[in-house]
Amino acid sequence: MSPVADYLILGSILFALGLVGFLSRRNLIVMFLSTEVMFQGVVVNAVAFARLHHHLEGQAFALFLLVIAAVEAGLALGMIVLLYRRRGTLDAEAWSIMRG
Amino acid sequence: MSGSTASALYFVFALGGAGVYFLLPHGDRPRTMVGAILGLGALVGWFVVLAFGGLMGTGHTGYFYLFATIAVVAAARVVTHPRPVYSALYFVLVVIAVASLLVLQEAEFLAVALIIIYAGAILVTYLFVIMLASQGGSATYDRRAREPFLAVLAGFVLMAAIASHADAVPESVTDRPAQLASDSSAGVVADSNTLAIGQLVMTKYVVVLEVAGLLLLIAMVGAIALSRKKVPVESGYRPTEPVGEIGRKVEPF
Amino acid sequence: MAPDTLATLKICGIVILLAPLAGAILAGALAPVLRGRAHWPTILGVGAAFAAAICVFIHVRQFDAEHVSALVPVYDWIASGTGSAFRVEFLIDPLTSVMLLTVTGVSLLVVIYSRDYMREHGRPEKGYERFFAFLALFVFAMCALVLGGNFVLLYLGWEAVGLCSYLLIGFYYQRPAAAAAAKKAFLVNRVGDFGFGLAIFLIYISFGTLQYGEVFEMVERGVLANGDPLTQGRVTGIALLLLCGACGKSAQLPLHVWLPDAMEGPSPVSALIHAATMVTAGVYMIARCGAIFTASPLAMTVVAAIGATTALFAATVALVQTDMKRILAYSTISQLGYMFLGVGVYAADAAIFHLFTHAFFKALLFLGAGSVMHAMGGIIDMRQFGGLRKLLPWTFLTFLIGSLALAGVPMFSGFFSKDEIIHQAFTRHWVLGTIGLVTAVLTAFYTFRMVFVAFFGDERVPEGVHAHESGRWMLVPLFILAIGAIGAGYLGVGGKPFHHFLEPVFEHTFVAANPAWGGHEAGHAVGFWAAYGLMIISGGLAILAIGAAYVLYNRQPWIPPLVRASLPQGYDALWNKYYVDELYDDAIVKPARKSGKICVGLDDYLIDGLVWVVTAIPRGLAYMLRGFQAGAMQGYALSMVAGMAVIVLLVFWAGK
Repeated sequence: MSPVADYLILGSILFALGLVGFLSRRNLIVMFLSTEVMFQGVVVNAVAFARLHHHLEGQAFALFLLVIAAVEAGLALGMIVLLYRRRGTLDAEAWSIMRG
Repeated sequence: MSGSTASALYFVFALGGAGVYFLLPHGDRPRTMVGAILGLGALVGWFVVLAFGGLMGTGHTGYFYLFATIAVVAAARVVTHPRPVYSALYFVLVVIAVASLLVLQEAEFLAVALIIIYAGAILVTYLFVIMLASQGGSATYDRRAREPFLAVLAGFVLMAAIASHADAVPESVTDRPAQLASDSSAGVVADSNTLAIGQLVMTKYVVVLEVAGLLLLIAMVGAIALSRKKVPVESGYRPTEPVGEIGRKVEPF
Repeated sequence: MAPDTLATLKICGIVILLAPLAGAILAGALAPVLRGRAHWPTILGVGAAFAAAICVFIHVRQFDAEHVSALVPVYDWIASGTGSAFRVEFLIDPLTSVMLLTVTGVSLLVVIYSRDYMREHGRPEKGYERFFAFLALFVFAMCALVLGGNFVLLYLGWEAVGLCSYLLIGFYYQRPAAAAAAKKAFLVNRVGDFGFGLAIFLIYISFGTLQYGEVFEMVERGVLANGDPLTQGRVTGIALLLLCGACGKSAQLPLHVWLPDAMEGPSPVSALIHAATMVTAGVYMIARCGAIFTASPLAMTVVAAIGATTALFAATVALVQTDMKRILAYSTISQLGYMFLGVGVYAADAAIFHLFTHAFFKALLFLGAGSVMHAMGGIIDMRQFGGLRKLLPWTFLTFLIGSLALAGVPMFSGFFSKDEIIHQAFTRHWVLGTIGLVTAVLTAFYTFRMVFVAFFGDERVPEGVHAHESGRWMLVPLFILAIGAIGAGYLGVGGKPFHHFLEPVFEHTFVAANPAWGGHEAGHAVGFWAAYGLMIISGGLAILAIGAAYVLYNRQPWIPPLVRASLPQGYDALWNKYYVDELYDDAIVKPARKSGKICVGLDDYLIDGLVWVVTAIPRGLAYMLRGFQAGAMQGYALSMVAGMAVIVLLVFWAGK
């Protein structure tokens, strides 16, 4: 039996939930929030694997993942603000110029 | 994973998927109650499968169940709540639960870092933006989810496919005592997780550290540039089609 | 046949064909330059053709008894692999030369006349150049028809004259009546030409060749190309189909309906095409194909019957018409009926003689009517003018001469030619002869009714019209034709030079087959009383009819309205031409329109529907697939995740 199966399953549940939210919510902010939830799932997975292999590489990876998440959140929110200013709405479907 | 365990797991996931589907906002017909019941049932079932399927690792305590519950429920609410502010707040809960789980896994530094960075910085930023762009109450685009069925299906199928192989990791490492305080690969010996990580990062991954710093600088510059951009305001956008239908209906030539 | 004679004939034939054609092309191509002088290319072209026709005549007169006809090959047009080529070749014999002279001579006079007719106050009408180009083209086509040595050239000329007729009838194409008349002429001709085409096919299938000489020789021998005997049924079929074409072109029953409407064209056109030349093409064709027709007694009877019936029918209708040109049109139909009657009773030479004289006086009458129309400012309805005798003296004189000829008054040309046909008709069957006589009486009556109403009585002109006599260019042709109307008849009297000239052509066909003669001898009178008695009777009846017309329309003009009032239905039937046009309209035109509408409906619903169904498949597919391209980012993300899920599933399950 795997010592980390439960954490892996938990990580995948969090990831899936975040994925569902990203795909189905129309609010731009909630969409990005869902991606953050996906990040959480990945962090759980990374740390579980670190424990499996008895070293800290997974945790270091998770740390840098955190940095990336922060960077992404900052820039994404900046752009969301711009988009909101442009169209006056946070609806993701306001930006469907490439339809057809 | 034995076949019966896998089947039970799939069933649980299906149940959870149904629950999430009902939890997603559906406009004028909120079915949160049904979704909540299904979701909780799925959660319980999952625990049952974990316990009796022999999937629990060694040395686990009941705290896992607690924090897992909080994390999953909060994550579900982040994703399905109609109002963005509540989504953000539930996200804070998710972060705290995940941090607790990390502590359970003896990754204390990461846990605290998570709380500081996520709950402290990122979430606050999110809340600021939500407040900035909120239109009072839940807007039209928050009331209905876009293609909920397909999204849930795709997500949970993916999850089931991955999760069904959760025990496919090698077993050779199960007998080693958990010595997270020390890093066997780099020969680092430290007596706290923070020190261990610090030593690892500063020696083996220092370049990555510098790059991370550079990345943060760039992000800061970028954020400032974005905020100063003058954007012409286009006329108000009025959604003309129901959710998920944009681009669907086109007149035949 | 001396080779240089052949060469001369070939050159003459080519000149006859190409000179008018060149005139047509020049008149058309140089139209902007020539303007009011556009008549010169036509006059010169037709004049050259006339000169060449005279040359041909001179040579043909010198043919000796054995070499009656000259087949002059010009060049191979389409050579098919089996060796039977469609060759452009001329058949030059007395019949050809008579027709050529008539056609080119009358055409020349009409062209000269048109130079003044197509002008208003001295300035050329709009389309002046077009007119002369078409006239020259017509002369070319008619000559091709007459000169041709095989059925292909005959058909070519046939269709071409039909085309020129259409172009010229519809000359004033802005007038809807004219455009409709042109269409009608062409379509009715087409109906006849359909039968003609079938006849040609049948001839080709039966005899393997389309050359006159070869076909007629095989018919006379009674064999087909493959050696089988020629059955009565087949030759009758060919003859009747040829007759179909002749009826269309020569306006016989039931395809006569286009000729009265063709009067919408200018008067020179009516004179040339619808009196003297084109409509006689049918008679020419029957005369030329004498071998085929005489081989089938049934066909001959049909020809005679159609001719007689048409003659009587048209004469009765002409009695009550008030449009001078229309009276003349019905008169033409009636006289053509005489010609058909003539060939039908084996008197082909008499028929061609009548064709010859008729060309003169009918053209004269039409040109005279044109002169009247010119003076009356375009009005030709007799009810609107009268007493033109003093106002238009020369026109009156020539018109009178033409009417006397038409009425068959003794000493004028029509008398001699018509009388002979009636005589031959009597020898065949008394009914035919009686119809001929009655028609002659009616002809005299309506002709002079026209003369008395238009030229005698009180002088009346329409409002605002200054009646003046026509100019030199119009009067000189009238004089020449008047001389011909009087003098041409004498070619058929006494020694009958005309008939002798044509003798070799019909010797083996009409004369030989004539059951009345029992085999030989040309149409000599049988006994004094039979011949001269008939002449006296017909001449006397004609004069009586003229007197009756004089009384009714000059002395006691109250009688005709009384007659009309007492027989209203009869009058209406005659006035409306026996409602034939209405009958055709109901029986043919309306169903054709209806089927056209059905086809349109079918096209709209069935075919367009089918197309729609076929296109619905890609459209439906596109509609279904369009959802993937909604432009919303989440849709794309969903597709990606779904794809990823499928791949993951496959990988995991495959690797299980």
